[in-house]
Amino acid sequence: MQALLQRAGTYFIALAIAIVVNFALPRLMPGGPVDSMIAQLGQRATPGVIAALKAKFGQIDQPVWVQFADYLKGLLTLDLGVSTSYYPMTVVEVLTRPLVWTAFLITTTIILSFIVGIFLGALSAWRRGGKTDSILSPLAFVVTAVPPVVFALTTLFVLGVFYRLAPVSYAYDPNLDPGFNLTFVRSVAAHIVLPVLSLAPYLIASFQSTMRSSMISVLNEDYVTLGRAKGLSNTMVMYSYGVRNAMLPMLTHLALMLGSIFGGSIVVEVVFNYPGLGLTLFTATLARDYPVIQGQLMLMTVITLGANMLVDIVYGLVDPRLKGTSN
Amino acid sequence: MSFFLHQKKVLVGITLVLALCLMAIFAPAISSYSPEARVARSHQPPSTEHIMGTTKMGRDVFSQFVWGARSSLSVGIVTGVAITILGTAVGLIGGYIGGWVDRVLDLVTNAVLVIPNLPLLILLAAFAGTVGPTVIMIIVTMTSWPWGARMTRSQTLAIKNREFVVAARMIGESRLRVAMVEILPNLLPLIGINLVGSIIFAIVTQTTLEYLGFGDPLRVTWGTMLYNAQNSSAIMVGAWWDVAAPCLGVTLVGLALALINFALDEISNPQLRSGPALSRWLRLTRQRAKAMEAKR
Repeated sequence: MQALLQRAGTYFIALAIAIVVNFALPRLMPGGPVDSMIAQLGQRATPGVIAALKAKFGQIDQPVWVQFADYLKGLLTLDLGVSTSYYPMTVVEVLTRPLVWTAFLITTTIILSFIVGIFLGALSAWRRGGKTDSILSPLAFVVTAVPPVVFALTTLFVLGVFYRLAPVSYAYDPNLDPGFNLTFVRSVAAHIVLPVLSLAPYLIASFQSTMRSSMISVLNEDYVTLGRAKGLSNTMVMYSYGVRNAMLPMLTHLALMLGSIFGGSIVVEVVFNYPGLGLTLFTATLARDYPVIQGQLMLMTVITLGANMLVDIVYGLVDPRLKGTSN
Repeated sequence: MSFFLHQKKVLVGITLVLALCLMAIFAPAISSYSPEARVARSHQPPSTEHIMGTTKMGRDVFSQFVWGARSSLSVGIVTGVAITILGTAVGLIGGYIGGWVDRVLDLVTNAVLVIPNLPLLILLAAFAGTVGPTVIMIIVTMTSWPWGARMTRSQTLAIKNREFVVAARMIGESRLRVAMVEILPNLLPLIGINLVGSIIFAIVTQTTLEYLGFGDPLRVTWGTMLYNAQNSSAIMVGAWWDVAAPCLGVTLVGLALALINFALDEISNPQLRSGPALSRWLRLTRQRAKAMEAKR
């Protein structure tokens, strides 16, 4: 319980840091952002809109703490301001649809890489020092050393442009009407292939090497020896005794990776013009659409924190040893 | 020294890093063209005259590659050092002093760790406007120290109550001296891992930020090379060399440093060893067992 509270404290601080950064940055650079946003709105900048922007970014005659209270109230009511580049739309409206695409892209990638990574990691730990391990481990390590940008660009060129294996741009064929019919679903499936293929190798490799070390320490445990001594089959010992127990640290690893998965997805979405949060963030920075950029950070932070909390709860449920212990 | 010779991985890694650094230092001598001059027609494939081809603007890709290494490597190394210093300081102070100082530092460390790094960096860069190398260095350092801090803290906690540290405290050495002379040297392998990892991270992050269009497009770095290649749709028109050169650079550095780190990791955690290292270890233990037998 105490451990859970401590974790909750961490998440609270993380959220607070994100909020304070969002609140303070535009106020630390007077004039700049607001003026450029008003300039961007041009004709559409009615006095009301200008006043709202100025209030949101601190050019208002109020004590800072009142501004901060207003800001917090805005966050709680999901009022993240209006987008300056898609003007009448609010930030929440701008971010909703990309969120769905990114969630789709990320979950597909995570599920795929989690399964493959765990399998490969378990295998190379089981055959530690053997031929399989001596191929798999260095391979994983080479893959983790390759930056996501390089992976995405190589996939784009080799699989997309050279071999024309799958479509290279957008999330579906823009000529199709979105809907639940076979052609549309197939188009969506075809368009996600290359983004997943560019995002997955890094994740697989990272899961694989974590799983390998976790599995190695599990295989040294007495109960594994006991399992073998009982005459259980190799498969039984490997999966029921080894993998099951080695999986636990993988959950923590997954939650910790989430932030960098978001980072990777930004790059991949930009490379493949995939209409998710990353691409929205990219276009928002090009357009200097500060409200959207800020909303993005809040959204990604909240999602990451939520996932971490979920892992903590699941961890407590799955691992009975944690019950009743402090720290 | 024998360690370096025995570990092929480290040797390859160090050679690669040195080669790239030398290339960066002697960029003016190696490149036959100015990286910013128009020296040929646009998008020429690799030839004897331009061994890595030319960009859309007709610039020599190889010269850009060589000059780009300068900025990418130097910014990466300086940022990596800064990240490591900050992380080590936070981890060491928290772990050694303990109490509320540790609780606060640990809380902040874990909190910064869960905030998605790249979105935060993009936000900071967006508000900073056009970012030169210094700004990139500062914002990457500010957001990337927690990994190192966490590692250092747990290792400090593990060492803190060992006999030699307790003994040093007993004979009345000052806290600062205990931390710097007794604990810090024992953290060195960890600091090495942290440093190498941070440099990789800094180079990759810097390149990513520049690829996304932050950073000064007039400076020649691997990141801006990618940015310019993207903007001239080099991939779509088939000018792969324009993209391949900076990709090769970043990958080589990443790989070389990762090789070094892999070996450092195996020193501090022998359980992870595989292949030749493992068999060597087994041979050693067998020899030792035989020697014990013989003694008896």
